[in-house]
Amino acid sequence: MHEPPYPVALKPYGQALVDLARHRPEVVCLSGDLTRQCEVDLFQAEFPGRFIQAGMAEANMMGVAAALGRSGHLPFVHTFGVFATRRPLDQIISAIGYPRLPVRIIGFMPGLSSPGGPSHQAIDDVALMRAVPGMTVLDVADAVEVRQVCAAIADLPGPVYVRLKRGEVPVMFGDDHVLSLDRAQVLSRGGDAALFASGMMLAPALAAARVLGEHGTAVSVVNVPVLKPLDTGTVLDVAAAARVVLAAENHLVSGGLGTAVAEALAEAGLGRPLRRIGLRDAFAEGARSAGYLFGRYGLSAQSIVATAWQALGRPGPVPEVRLPAADPGEYAPV
Amino acid sequence: MSDPGASWAVPDPARLALRIRLRAVQMVAAQGFGYLGQALSSAEQVAALFAVARPGVDRIVCSPGHYVIAFYAAAAETGLLPGAALASYGQDGSALEAIGSERSPVLDYVCGSLGQGLSAAAGFALSDRLRGRETRTFALVSDGELEEGQVWEAAMFAAHHQLSGLTVLLDANNSQVDGPVDSVTTIEPIAAKWAAFGWGTAEVDGHDVAAVARALTAAPVSTRPSVVIGRTSTRRGLDCLPPDADGHFIKLPAELAATAVRELIARLEQAGA
Repeated sequence: MHEPPYPVALKPYGQALVDLARHRPEVVCLSGDLTRQCEVDLFQAEFPGRFIQAGMAEANMMGVAAALGRSGHLPFVHTFGVFATRRPLDQIISAIGYPRLPVRIIGFMPGLSSPGGPSHQAIDDVALMRAVPGMTVLDVADAVEVRQVCAAIADLPGPVYVRLKRGEVPVMFGDDHVLSLDRAQVLSRGGDAALFASGMMLAPALAAARVLGEHGTAVSVVNVPVLKPLDTGTVLDVAAAARVVLAAENHLVSGGLGTAVAEALAEAGLGRPLRRIGLRDAFAEGARSAGYLFGRYGLSAQSIVATAWQALGRPGPVPEVRLPAADPGEYAPV
Repeated sequence: MSDPGASWAVPDPARLALRIRLRAVQMVAAQGFGYLGQALSSAEQVAALFAVARPGVDRIVCSPGHYVIAFYAAAAETGLLPGAALASYGQDGSALEAIGSERSPVLDYVCGSLGQGLSAAAGFALSDRLRGRETRTFALVSDGELEEGQVWEAAMFAAHHQLSGLTVLLDANNSQVDGPVDSVTTIEPIAAKWAAFGWGTAEVDGHDVAAVARALTAAPVSTRPSVVIGRTSTRRGLDCLPPDADGHFIKLPAELAATAVRELIARLEQAGA
C-alpha cells in the first residue's frame, strides 16, 4: 500500500466505464445533468449513441433506466448520491428494486465530501439503499478499486448502488490490489481493536491504526467495500479476536456500516463493545472544504484514535495524530 | 404482449369492450367491492389497444396498476389467459393481484405506485430505438396521475428525445380517491398541457371504441410522441349502479352484482353477440 499523502488519480470511474463499455455493447449511460461531475463526459465522447441525457429529473431517469434494464440493456445511472437516492426512492424501490433489474446507480459526493451544504451531502444513501430488497451497496476506498468497480459489478444479479468520491481520488492500494465483492479485506491484524472502514474513511482509519500502534494498541483494519451483502464471516472472525469493535463511515452512524456490523455481532451473539464513528444525528453545516467537515463532525483520524482510546479504557492523554500536508496533486485524510 | 409468439385477434372491439365489463363485474363480485370503475371507464380504450397493438411487436404499459383488471379481462377474452384464471383475481396467493405487480401476466409492464408508467414506456421506446426496432409502445395513463410530477418529467423527456414510437392513451374519467379530479386539482386544459410539452394530441370520446382505435392508429408523427385523450366515465355501460357509486372503488354486493351481470348479458345479446 502507499503511504499518505497519497498520489491521486483523475476520473478513474469515467475511464473504467468507458473500458467496460468497449467490450459490453449493452452498457448504456444515463446522466441527470451532472455529466462532467460524474466523469461520464468520457463515455459521452466515446459512445454518444449510448449516452442518454435524462436532465434534472431523477424520478423519470430511474424509470427509464428500469425499462432499459428490463429490455436487456445494462444501464449505469449517474448523479450525486443525494439526488440518486432520496428524491427517486419510490422509483428505485418500485421500478428497479422490486423487479430486481440490473440497473447500476452511481452516486457521487458521498457523505461529507461535499462543501455544498446539507442539500448536497449524501449522509443517508447507504441506509436508504440497504433497505431496498436485493440491492447490492458499495463504498469503495481508492482509485485502484474504482478502476475495477464497473467490471466487478457488471454481471451481479439485481440492482447495485455505488457511492463514489468525486474528482481527485487517492491511490492507496498497489497495482496488484484486487477489488473483491465477496470478502472484506483484512489489512492489518491486532488484538486490541477491530476497525472496520469503508470508502473515504479507510484513509483516516489506517492513519489512526498507525498512531494507535505506536502507542501500544494493536488494531485490525478491515476494508469493507461491500456494505450489502456484508461479509459477516470476516467481520465476526476479526471482531472475535479483538476487545473492542469500531466502525468508521462517511455517513450517518445509523443505517450504514456501523449498523451492519452491529447486526452481524448481535445476530451471532458475539458480545464486544461497539463504537461507531460517523455523523451523529446531525446535518453538517458551514464548510468551504470537506476536510473541515470531517474534522468538525468527528470523522477524522483523531476522532477514531480518541474513540478507540476511550473504548479500550486506556489511561493518559489521547495520542495525537499528525498527518502530512498534501501538496496539489496529493491526498491526505484529516 | 411484445413477447415473440404472442398472438391474439380482436374481430369486434365493441363486443370486446362489453365482455371486459362483464368479466370485470364477475371478478369484483367475488369480493363485493373493487376497481370496477376503472374497467368501466377504460373498457373501450383497452379493447382498442388490443385491436391496434401488433401482437409480438408492440408494447403495452399500464401505468395505473388499479386498471389491470381490464387487461386481465381482455386477456381472458382474447385467449392470452385461461378464463378460469380470473376467478383468482385479488385472492390470497394469486398472481392476479388487484393492483398490478411483477407477477401480473400479459402486459409488458404494469406499475403499482401511480405516476411511474410513462417513464417506463419512454424507456421501452428508447430501447427499441437504440436497437433500430420499428415498434410502438402504448401506455395507458389516468388523468389523476397527471398530478404526479414524474409524469411531466417523462413527458418532457419523451418529447426532447423525439420518441415517436410512444403513444399515451389517457383515460380522462375525472375520478380519483377523494372525488372528481377537478375537485381535487385542476388539471385542465389537458390537451394544451401535452401540446405545450411537445406532444401530438388528439381528443376523443373514450367510449367510442372505433374513434379510439382510429386515433391510436393515426397517432404516430415522425418527430414526437403522441397522446390520445379519452373522455370517459367510471359508471359507463352499467345503468344499474347507484348514482353515488365511488368510481375509484365500487361496492358490488351480491344482489347488485347479479343485476349487473343480467344487464351486461342483455347488452351483449342486444349487440347481436
